Amino acid sequence: MGIAVSTQQSVGERLHSVSRYLVYFGGFVLTGIAVMTVLSIVGRAFVKFGLGPIPGDFELVEAGCAIAVFSFLPWCQLNRGHVSVDVVTNFFPIRIQALLILIGDIAISAMAFVIAWRMWMGMGERTIWFSQPVRDALGFGYKPFAPETTFILGMPIWYSYALSFIGAVLFAVVAFYTVWRSVNGLLDGRLPK
Amino acid sequence: MTGLEISIIGFAIMLVAIFLRMPIAVAMGLTGFIGSWVILGHPNAILSQMKSLTYDTFSSYSLSIVPLFLLMGQFATKSGMSARLFEAAADWLGHRKGGMAMATVGACAGFGAVCGSSLATASTMGQVALPEMRKRGYSDELATGVLAAGGTLGILIPPSVILVIYAILTEQNIVKMFIAALIPGILAALGYMLAVAVYVRIKPDSATTAPRTPMKQRFRTLLKIWPVVVIFGLVMGGIAGDWNWVQPGVQALFTPTEGAAVGAVATGLYGIFTGGLNKETFLDCILSTASATAMIFFIIFGAQLFNTFLAFTQTPQAIAQWVTGQGFAPMLVLLLMLSFYLVFGCVMDSLSMILLTIPVFFPIIEVLDFGLTVEETGIWFGILALIVVEVGLITPPVGMNLFIIHSLAKDIPIQKTYRGVTPFLISDLIRVAVLLGFPTISLWMVRAMF
Repeated sequence: MGIAVSTQQSVGERLHSVSRYLVYFGGFVLTGIAVMTVLSIVGRAFVKFGLGPIPGDFELVEAGCAIAVFSFLPWCQLNRGHVSVDVVTNFFPIRIQALLILIGDIAISAMAFVIAWRMWMGMGERTIWFSQPVRDALGFGYKPFAPETTFILGMPIWYSYALSFIGAVLFAVVAFYTVWRSVNGLLDGRLPK
Repeated sequence: MTGLEISIIGFAIMLVAIFLRMPIAVAMGLTGFIGSWVILGHPNAILSQMKSLTYDTFSSYSLSIVPLFLLMGQFATKSGMSARLFEAAADWLGHRKGGMAMATVGACAGFGAVCGSSLATASTMGQVALPEMRKRGYSDELATGVLAAGGTLGILIPPSVILVIYAILTEQNIVKMFIAALIPGILAALGYMLAVAVYVRIKPDSATTAPRTPMKQRFRTLLKIWPVVVIFGLVMGGIAGDWNWVQPGVQALFTPTEGAAVGAVATGLYGIFTGGLNKETFLDCILSTASATAMIFFIIFGAQLFNTFLAFTQTPQAIAQWVTGQGFAPMLVLLLMLSFYLVFGCVMDSLSMILLTIPVFFPIIEVLDFGLTVEETGIWFGILALIVVEVGLITPPVGMNLFIIHSLAKDIPIQKTYRGVTPFLISDLIRVAVLLGFPTISLWMVRAMF
């Protein structure tokens, strides 16, 4: 029993592969900043020979770390990776447990939605696009004089906001999907593995 | 209602939600969000803070050390280091009674030097050491118990993810924390070996002895663990060593985050070199790193929201003031906190516990007089807290290390593992008592170096 069980399963498979590719992307970024940092250290060590550190290396580490973490969030939620305490609830009847899992997923969805929504506005505030009426409609706030940039490279911060935003949106989508999955689990009266 | 009352109600609701299986990150985050809303009367402040709070938390330079160390640990699990470590330790210790169990502890300690996570250490070493111990007729209790306990060395011996987070939360120097953790970590390994020795004396049929390995062979296998030594030396030497004697103070080669990047790249290269790391296993490493990273950062984010709320209510200061006003003995307060960790550690995971309690506990610890400087007190408390929350990993009913070992050997009932970890728990408690009584053990290396 459940709401459109077969559709839910095929949507789940889709989301699974999309999230996995996003993880690979995040992993690529993470590995990239590790390698970049090592190159920067090597450059710094050989300053005498005309080499030098990569300019703004720590800014790239910060941006890359944020992009990677956001890319990892949907995968974690899809696989129930967020820790919870189940010592007490293990003694409850199955249906109650399924209900509590559902409530947890709803709460995560609410939070994921607020995160993505506020990030969108935060990103808008760091750009200088559009006229004020359009900005108001998009929730971008007042137009700043110049886009916020990083200190050394002068890279607009909205670049990394935008790349992180992909993960934030997928996190919300996946969280909504897990609510659907948990509703079906509740109707079916069984617990996820 | 006063801020203090609101925060107490908020805290109670959050605890109930956590025990009703609400994911801990969300329980903290929503309580923080709604609590701030209640206290200010409107959600605008917290909503506008959230425009940048998520990105700012995830893009913190000091926190970026966490995914890098996790990646390094994952690479280490695939690189075949665990087998070499165990082989070397078994050659040196195997001829003693219970020697394979002692070798497991030694190999776990070695692996902990390149891996900052207990679970990864327990599962990686378990795959190598568990079949070996069972083959040699070790009892199920000893074999699984020693592995579960040995796994905690992954986080007690630096690099350690929890220590990084503690250091960031309390604004301690990460490098000093790592240095301070070194000797307690080695003591932990020695204490576990001692526990094995005592255990096999009480229960002689639980272990066997292997024939003595000739010295030549021993040194040959010992030489094979060079990658662990090199990588640990590179990372710790780079972030804690003094590389420029001309200038005063410690002139490190790189920052902790850079050290983590160096460690990840070096371990990865070594994995490629041994063939353990190919395209397939690399993607596995990425997926495992991703799950752990996302989990940790989401909890940190939830804790950020919760701490914002606590700051609005000014509860930590109020509690700290109250505690000092009562004139309790500092040691008593500290003992109560550590006992709290031991009790809650049975049901909660270590990171959530640290994130939940440090904002309240640390201001109290800071104002208590232990005869140390404020910074030393912070470091010392961090080491003690780290050890007692790690004890939670091997205490039933919820001990993640126990579950990991159980998943490796499904045919051994978990009750046997529960019994098997008891000697190691006793060893842990004795060590905590010693470190409590003699803060110098944790602090002398920091004092000597800085």
